[in-house]
Amino acid sequence: MSWRIFKFFESEELKDPDSTNSFHSLLSRPNCGITCFTCGRGQMVLGDSQGSLHVLTSFSDILSTSAYLLRVSLVYQMRQRNVIITVGDDEDLMPIIRVWNYEKLTKEGIPTLSRSIPALIPNGRQSSVMVVCAHESMTLMAVGFKDGTVVTVRGNLMRDRLSTMKVVHSESTPGVYATGLGFRQVKNRTILLISTSDAVYTVDLTLKTETKLDSIGCELGCSTMTDHTQDYKFVIARSEAVYFYTPEGRAQAFAFEGEKVLLRWYRGYLISVVYGARGSSARAAAKSGAKDVMTVSVYDIQNQFVAYQMTLNGRVVDVVSEWGSLYILLRDGRLIRLEENDTKTKLETLFKKNLYPTAINLARSQSYNDGLIDIFTQYGDHLYSKGDFDGAIEQYILTIGKLEPSYVIRKFLDAQRIHNLTDYLKALHKKGIANADHTTLLLNCYTKLRDIDQLDAFVTESHSPTFDVSTAIHVCRQANYHRHALALAKKYKKHDSYLLIQLEDLHDCDDAMEYIARLKFRDAEASMIKYGKLLLTELPDDTTRLLQNLCTDWLPRGQTPRPEDVVPDWSDPALYIELFVNHRHHLTVFLEHQISTHTSGNLRDVIFTTLLELYLAEIGACRTPEERTAKEKRALELMQRKNATFDLDHALVLAQIHDFKSGILFLYEKAGLFQQILQYHMEHNDYQSVMATCKRHGRKDPNLWVQALSFFSSRRECKGQIPEVLQHIDEDQLMPPLMVIQTLADSQFSTLSDIKPYIVKHLQKENEQIAKDEQSIRQYRDETGRIRENVKELQTSAKIFQMMKCSLCRRGLSLPAIHFLCKHSFHQDCLQDELEHECPLCYRDNRKVLDIIQRQEQTAGLHEQFHSQLQRSPDGFSVVAEYFGRGVFNKRSSSKSPGSSVEQRKA
Amino acid sequence: MSYSYLFKYIIIGDTGVGKSCLLLQFTDKRFQPVHDLTIGVEFGARMINIDGKQIKLQIWDTAGQESFRSITRSYYRGAAGALLVYDITRRETFEHLTSWLEDARQHSSANMVIMLIGNKSDLEAKREVTAEEGLSFAKEHALVFMETSAKTAANVEEAFINTAKEIYQKIQDGIFDVTNEANGIKLGPQYQTGGPSRPGAIDSGKPPGQGGCC
Repeated sequence: MSWRIFKFFESEELKDPDSTNSFHSLLSRPNCGITCFTCGRGQMVLGDSQGSLHVLTSFSDILSTSAYLLRVSLVYQMRQRNVIITVGDDEDLMPIIRVWNYEKLTKEGIPTLSRSIPALIPNGRQSSVMVVCAHESMTLMAVGFKDGTVVTVRGNLMRDRLSTMKVVHSESTPGVYATGLGFRQVKNRTILLISTSDAVYTVDLTLKTETKLDSIGCELGCSTMTDHTQDYKFVIARSEAVYFYTPEGRAQAFAFEGEKVLLRWYRGYLISVVYGARGSSARAAAKSGAKDVMTVSVYDIQNQFVAYQMTLNGRVVDVVSEWGSLYILLRDGRLIRLEENDTKTKLETLFKKNLYPTAINLARSQSYNDGLIDIFTQYGDHLYSKGDFDGAIEQYILTIGKLEPSYVIRKFLDAQRIHNLTDYLKALHKKGIANADHTTLLLNCYTKLRDIDQLDAFVTESHSPTFDVSTAIHVCRQANYHRHALALAKKYKKHDSYLLIQLEDLHDCDDAMEYIARLKFRDAEASMIKYGKLLLTELPDDTTRLLQNLCTDWLPRGQTPRPEDVVPDWSDPALYIELFVNHRHHLTVFLEHQISTHTSGNLRDVIFTTLLELYLAEIGACRTPEERTAKEKRALELMQRKNATFDLDHALVLAQIHDFKSGILFLYEKAGLFQQILQYHMEHNDYQSVMATCKRHGRKDPNLWVQALSFFSSRRECKGQIPEVLQHIDEDQLMPPLMVIQTLADSQFSTLSDIKPYIVKHLQKENEQIAKDEQSIRQYRDETGRIRENVKELQTSAKIFQMMKCSLCRRGLSLPAIHFLCKHSFHQDCLQDELEHECPLCYRDNRKVLDIIQRQEQTAGLHEQFHSQLQRSPDGFSVVAEYFGRGVFNKRSSSKSPGSSVEQRKA
Repeated sequence: MSYSYLFKYIIIGDTGVGKSCLLLQFTDKRFQPVHDLTIGVEFGARMINIDGKQIKLQIWDTAGQESFRSITRSYYRGAAGALLVYDITRRETFEHLTSWLEDARQHSSANMVIMLIGNKSDLEAKREVTAEEGLSFAKEHALVFMETSAKTAANVEEAFINTAKEIYQKIQDGIFDVTNEANGIKLGPQYQTGGPSRPGAIDSGKPPGQGGCC
């Protein structure tokens, strides 16, 4: 009836290290009774019955001081400073408390005695000191006396003044003595816990209150303070149990039986020493009278097991911890060291015994986190092998995040254990580390188990998806849980999946429509492109309306209208045309709406072309002429729209296919294909229109008249039109008369009378021209003769300069003077500024002539230019004549002649 | 954490009826199928809320074995509520209730609220004590009755909270003297504004050396 017992410590008796100044030599000294024992700060302190204090910094390094004349009865080592408080006697009158400072040594190497206080109760009574305890602040000390009185000493413990002693607890019952003291700090309150031989008290030294916690007490040495692992509780040991106390009251109790000798706390372990052998009851121990057999037990309070237990032959003086180990000091001088195993070893022990929960607790309390996962895994494996799958999975769940999930999943991939597997996968998802496969598996589990509730929960779960949503949707859909798939898709905005399920699986077009109507522009656009066709088949009117919105001013349903200044999103209607296959009517409605809405001309021509096609198709289907007229009018109106843009070729083809006359003409005109218009009219023998077309477009394309002429000339009934045509041809000189006559000559129907006025007119005109030309020739001939004479004169006869005045300054000519052959004479001075070689008055005319000659000479050599010009020119003869005039065939030397005038001037 | 009241509870009943598991379920919300024997007395605490008041429950979990009776008895005193637990799958635990009740009545304050708990309600197949029997026992001894399962957590919260409600009601009705800690009720820190000067709250008025509050 106790906790499980383990062997988490290794015991070893320390043998004499064979040294004169060793611990063992100290203990083996005659008459040396060790009375008290403490440790801390890397040293052990022993007091003996001779009044000496021994401080061990190791087992072979002992510093002994004579502290008292008679004996040392108590030692207390401060935790935070190297200060030791001792109680002992110099004489048998009253005990003396001494404070030793080990941080300051005297010259002899002995610690300084900081303070000496007689242990007197303030009211003058005398009693021996049972227990002493000091607060770590070094300003407070508590002393417990044999008569039950507890006294506090305030003031700096290191200095010998200004200390006040005060009774904080006193006993009225005789025979009750103080057995234990402990300080505890709760926020800013200092609390002293006191145990006497028959009660436990708590004294709040700050608030100055005293409370009795319990009316059971303990023996000397059987009380201690725990550390942080047990929240600094005060513990007392009685023969039936160990009781814990907080300053407020009782805490837990553990029924560790046995007559206690000692109670100590060591790093989370409670160490108790009881009389009697291990396992034997207290009564049996008492009966045997074997006071020299003691059992040391080390309890792990937090994890509730006995970490170590050993029975010793001999009386235990104390159990202390130092240098990382526990030491048990026996009265006969033996020293036993207990060394704690490391956590790993301990865990292995536990594993061997399959005590996994204990191992987990142990690892947790030792913050052995790295190993925890291993323990969970091992525990899980163990439970699995025992067939406890529920338990195993619980452990495996704890390993999530460290252990590879497939390890666990593989173990549970069996229809029998699908529940466990589901739990594990659920946990995986909760931690957010599930991958797509896990999601698939989990959902498959749910669907296999027909666990609709779980599936619902999964679908409606947290806001951030901890799984692969698409996979989840896919799996749900495959398993025919369309509703769940739908909910998932809606929640995580997988619009595509949502619509796919709604339309393909559930065939709920109304809902799909409604859903799309609520989407944002981009999503709605994509959805419509994808599913528009299907929706159109099912709900043509609604879909058309939705598309209209989408292409003009999209506003998700249920949203507040956007402010005026924001440009609305609109989609290109051309994207949706293909959706309307087999829905001509709706397409017409849709496109008409688009055209009437988008007036700014930003629509693509395919919209208009398509609408036109629709219109034309309707025309074709018309029965009555009235209907046809109306439809044609509508189509034409469409083409004539101001912002309409067409693919002209396409439109033309359409119009031609559907034989839409006015449309064709309109398009021809628009495209500038006047020839075609004419052709069209000619084909249809519409003479009036032919004439009208020629008149309208003749200016832009004069050839129309030529065609009209040949056309009319080939028609018997069109004689009336020919003169008019001829007039136009004549006015614009579109054809040489010869060609006109030729054209008409080809005709079977035209007669000479038709063109008589024309020919007469032309002959007259030509006669006039000939006369004019002849006159010009004569004129030129005369002029040439004159020039020739002039030249001859210059070359053969002398020139007499008889100018009296300077041609520039108009004054009388005086020497020096310059005379030119042109009969101008100048003062030399007057010519100073001018060019001396040329007559300034004739210079300009001469230069002009020279330039022309020069240019002609230059171009004369350019044969290529001549050829090209000849080719391009409508009148080749004039080109040749012009070049001939330029002197193409002249010899080079002849061109020099104009320069001779300069040579001659100085004569 | 600050609280308005602190109620002390004690859980009693035969060994193995699930006292420790009830506590573990209430404080840690978990179930441990294999639980070491309770040796002595352990305790747990949890905050609950009644009528908008934070109430701290400090719960003593006692060892059920006969040999520990002497230790556990001393814990009856200073408890405001007790959960008297039996195991519905073991008839003898039900039959021992009378002796536990006697113990409780003898060692506790007269006003202590006792709730009768039939635990392990999840093991319906192994049931040996019917709910009707439990109810009639409770009526006979003026107890509140409830069947719970520490494993599935069924009714566990309710058992603790209903007891607390009843204690709270008794405080409101003036039956409990909250200033006397022997009743197992303690006022929260913010309610003891008077501190040591408040008479009766803490025995500061007494000169030192006269002993404890009791």
